[in-house]
Amino acid sequence: MTTMTRFLVHLLYPFLRTPLPQLRTPTGFFTDTSVCIGCKACEVACKAWNELPADALHITGHSYDNTGTLSAESWRHVKFIEQFEPPVSPFERGAEGEGERVPLDVLPLSPEPGRWLMMSDVCKHCVSAPCHQACPTGAIIQTEFTNIFIQPDICNGCAYCVAACPFGVVTRSACDGHAHKCTLCYDRQQHGLVPACAKACPTQSIQFGPIDDLRQRARERVARLHQQGVTAAHLYGDVETDGYSALTSFYLLLDRPAVYGLPEAPHDPYRRMAGDYLRSIAGGLISLVALGLLIWSMRP
Amino acid sequence: VTWDILCNNLSAGLFLVGGLAELLAPTVFAPLAKALYPTALIFLLIDLALLTIDLGDPWRFHHMLRQLNLRSPMSVGVWSLTAFSLSATLAAVLSVFTGDDTTMQTLRQVVVGVGLVPGLASLVYKGVLFSTTAQPIWKEARWLGAFLTASAMGLGCWALLLIAMFMQQPDALPILRRALILLTALSLVAFGLVALNVRHEIQRLRGRRRLIRFAVGDAAVSMVVPLMCLLIPGDGFLLLGMAPALLGNVTLRSLIVEAPRLAGEIE
Repeated sequence: MTTMTRFLVHLLYPFLRTPLPQLRTPTGFFTDTSVCIGCKACEVACKAWNELPADALHITGHSYDNTGTLSAESWRHVKFIEQFEPPVSPFERGAEGEGERVPLDVLPLSPEPGRWLMMSDVCKHCVSAPCHQACPTGAIIQTEFTNIFIQPDICNGCAYCVAACPFGVVTRSACDGHAHKCTLCYDRQQHGLVPACAKACPTQSIQFGPIDDLRQRARERVARLHQQGVTAAHLYGDVETDGYSALTSFYLLLDRPAVYGLPEAPHDPYRRMAGDYLRSIAGGLISLVALGLLIWSMRP
Repeated sequence: VTWDILCNNLSAGLFLVGGLAELLAPTVFAPLAKALYPTALIFLLIDLALLTIDLGDPWRFHHMLRQLNLRSPMSVGVWSLTAFSLSATLAAVLSVFTGDDTTMQTLRQVVVGVGLVPGLASLVYKGVLFSTTAQPIWKEARWLGAFLTASAMGLGCWALLLIAMFMQQPDALPILRRALILLTALSLVAFGLVALNVRHEIQRLRGRRRLIRFAVGDAAVSMVVPLMCLLIPGDGFLLLGMAPALLGNVTLRSLIVEAPRLAGEIE
């Protein structure tokens, strides 16, 4: 292929369209955090299937988690939330009662009883996704399974989807400059396979299937947990709220969403767009009309 | 991004203010056309270059033209800038080559008149581009679009004033002085409305005092000081007001761009 042909292909390729596939049963993830053990098998499976580069592993200093956060190279991330009281030295305890003796069999800095919360985080594949609406190139599409997919050969790395996502999921890769995130294993689904992370999950914390079945299953699970005394168990993103659409990847949480680093009340930025345009146009028109009247009145 | 906003605002602001002035008072402003439209075009070209460089993959810039997505302010902006660039280029070419030919001057005025619409659109989308995101501070700034639009016209007016001074067109100066007073006052009102929008968000910030200090300082330098200079008669004060206006507008835009990063330090 000559340089000119290559250039023409580069120029025209993004404008070629293929016929739209037929709609299939909407699918999604239900992540039950109550059974997640933090093994990170989902992270490994995701990286292996999607051939994502390895992370620079390091201890963050915030928890034992060493893979940090969701990124263009990590489409699954297991959060470790450590809910422990800060350890208090027995010597410090003793300081309250001056001269109190500290027994030698007491471990210094022994932690108070607490708990670990684990959560395998991923793109929420919002039913009405701000990233999908923000994309100026049409690289972000809703697939026939109603999942949100970024076409890597179309994205030009404008990063507007990064700013639009209220969950901080989408990021731009430093390797190729394009935005990447979970595809919900679109390629595997097309061939009737379960996404890699759900396949690898040893505890069924990540469940994949038709979204209506998953929602029903999730409600039953919450009811069962409530019967067992886990009253804090609740679903996040299973239904539409005042400010945001339902999520195709939704969660069962055991604490407030903020504890898991999720927004308590996510807001779809596009619900305010019309008003913002109106104010902006009004600002421009008022300035122009006032300016026009002034120039007209002062013209020689 | 700061320089991109500045060049966008200067280009479209100059085109709008200069174009409107030429259409309504041609005897005063038509002689400035030879410098006005090419200057607007140069700023537009710099803006387009900066927008392209800012992409993760600049060689795919043309992918922006695959579709017009009205729900994406960036898509609206791209198409507005494309339409505006046609008008700005045509107006610049006609202004350089028309000379005293009245037919060509009329043609240029038609091009400018038509170009006012995409010119305004390429200003209007910019603030909405920021406010229609999930980023802290930006997402609450409902009047940001109105502020940037009014402020851009103010910037354009300052640029036109400078051109009028260079091209020794004294008749334009009193009109532009009043126009600047009007546009600066409007910008100040819109800035106040933005401040009201984001006040709760700012109160949550650890570094809120520093942020408020910057915002008040920038507003004073970019709007209040120039406004005072404009109210004092004499061309010397006009020039005196220009420097803080330009400097303050750069730092104010930088503050807007940096706001979510600063808000990262939320308590």
